[in-house]
Amino acid sequence: MNIGLIGAGGITHVHIPAWLALGARVTVFSLEGGAEVAAQYGITAVGSLDELLDACDVVDICTPTPTHYRLAERALRAGKHVICEKPIALHPADAAALAELAAFVGKQLHPAHVVRYFPEYALARGAVAAGTIGEPAILRFSRIGEFPTWASWFADEEQSGGIVLDQMIHDLDIARWIAGEVTEVYAVKSVGDGCETAQVVLTHESGALSYVTGVWGAPGTTFATSFSIAGSTGVLKHDSRADASLRFDLGAPVAGTQSMRPDTSLGESPYLSELREFAAATLGGPAPRVSLADATRAVELAAAANASIASGRSESVVRETVAA
Amino acid sequence: MRAVANARPNASVQPTSSLSGQAASSAVAPQHPLSERPLRVALMSFAHVHAAGYAALLQSMPNVELRASDPDGGNEPAERRGRGLADDLGVSYVDSYAELLVWQPDAVIVTSENARHRPLVEAAALAGAAVLCEKPLATTLADALAMQAACDAAGVTLMTAYPVRFSPAFARLRELVQAGGLGALLAATGTNNGQIPVGDRAWFTDPALSGGGAMVDHIVHVADLLDALTGLTAQFVRAVSNRILHADKPEVRAETGGLVTISYAGGFVATIDCSWSQPDNAPTWGGLTLQVVGTRGIADIDPFAQHVGGVGADEAVFLGYGKNTDELLLNEFVHAVRAGRAGQPDGAAGIRSLKIVLAAQESARTGEVVSIR
Repeated sequence: MNIGLIGAGGITHVHIPAWLALGARVTVFSLEGGAEVAAQYGITAVGSLDELLDACDVVDICTPTPTHYRLAERALRAGKHVICEKPIALHPADAAALAELAAFVGKQLHPAHVVRYFPEYALARGAVAAGTIGEPAILRFSRIGEFPTWASWFADEEQSGGIVLDQMIHDLDIARWIAGEVTEVYAVKSVGDGCETAQVVLTHESGALSYVTGVWGAPGTTFATSFSIAGSTGVLKHDSRADASLRFDLGAPVAGTQSMRPDTSLGESPYLSELREFAAATLGGPAPRVSLADATRAVELAAAANASIASGRSESVVRETVAA
Repeated sequence: MRAVANARPNASVQPTSSLSGQAASSAVAPQHPLSERPLRVALMSFAHVHAAGYAALLQSMPNVELRASDPDGGNEPAERRGRGLADDLGVSYVDSYAELLVWQPDAVIVTSENARHRPLVEAAALAGAAVLCEKPLATTLADALAMQAACDAAGVTLMTAYPVRFSPAFARLRELVQAGGLGALLAATGTNNGQIPVGDRAWFTDPALSGGGAMVDHIVHVADLLDALTGLTAQFVRAVSNRILHADKPEVRAETGGLVTISYAGGFVATIDCSWSQPDNAPTWGGLTLQVVGTRGIADIDPFAQHVGGVGADEAVFLGYGKNTDELLLNEFVHAVRAGRAGQPDGAAGIRSLKIVLAAQESARTGEVVSIR
């Protein structure tokens, strides 16, 4: 399989090893840093998007958020299947347009909502679906790390959508995956001194309620996730700090070393699991566990949360029909 | 919140001197030179489950005389109330509140149903006693304001029973925040998840007497901690609730789950999960957590976490060993009364957190964001 990967930032260094482990041939294109990435992994770098499109069957978009829409559009029009980092677009209308275009050209667009491939979330979803805790009632999700200063665009809300669209979109998607479709969103946000945190409350169609919070905290903040899912007959909980199989104490954490993403080294990389599923789908295999419609909906929920933060009121996100 | 009942049957009405040598309380009230006589403490009503725990703790305190009355206890024949419970606890008992107040107590603890605090607090104030009232202070703002006014008019102090304020973990958090260790405060997430209070006292699930469901039961503790920690004024409250948990229990007539978001002056925000989501078969009643996010770091407290855990023959084991915060609360009340000062958290703190509960109930009912006045 020939993968054309765009970008040379943080996620590139997770996807390339996964692709190579899956036996794919990877070509990389990036406005900056493409040659270094190619040298590091022994792959080929090309100097233009056209060259990349000529060299691949599937495009993997690992670029900053504001470029996702244009690049995905270009790749789809070139007849390529596309894998795109989350969020697939900055605006719900762009996400919807991509979905329409993918259907029109008959190509697949897979959104990299990788948290669905983290075993703790997949297990929780499976257990809830199996009725382990009865009917879900009150859910909480938390995701904490340091403020992403390794690339300047994160701090610009016009480009990243802020913490809600960039980071919390993971748990907004997971809450909907586990507790079902969402009808209403309320959110608040607090910002200061290079830190950003938001709190989102989702009302699900079923009547269940979810609380999602994200923190981009002080330099050196250790990455941590947790959830609690209370249902009519029981409770499921996970905390990455309490439930770790491996812990080091090497003194004070150093800024930039512990916060980009959780340690997944003790099992198969969820990024690899994700890309394997997407790759199989492009070869005619089953549909992945996360769809383009899910990703579009996640952008809508995040946009509604940002709208609620701006308006100070709850926002309805009821849709007439939501594609499966 | 369940108090740890350390009841030691004792037929005497005198202050207990433990013959076992292992008094339940290690706290020793400093002897105020101006008030060396025993402090008279009256317990009004056994309706609240905390009454028995308070009685046991007060009996183990030096120089405290305790007397109780629970005239409405007979209305609940299925529950151990009234003189029977007083006998179990070894507490001196009288049949009416009037008789209790004729005794001229220095201090009164009100542990009636949430909606029945007001007449007892007013009567205690009129009798010149300092008052400690179980939380929530009242179920309506009018009642709470009237109670405060009655205490002010009588020149007595009013204190609200928020024991988690006295948690050593919270004290450490407060020191850290005051020293600037977290930088500027941005946000907090609080949880107060407990088992549903059914079985012990029927009124807990009757909104007419309890004032509601999980929201009235479990918002106030976290709201009070945030009040004490930040000193910020709550401005807007938005809440949602549901009744999915315990839907199989016909006696439950109010919300069992809720998420409450509070916006404070200056931009600080907080969300509280107040749900009765601790399963009935869990090895402990539940707990309270508070995570505070600042510009320099994040702090988590879990005041009821200290325990030895494991698995027994039939069920999970949870042996808690955290400080008994009810005991610390009563120490503060007794010290404050002896010193003639207002104990903290006071009535005003009780009113501030009650306003958040009432706004949350209104928000959940109307779907609107509610301003706090």
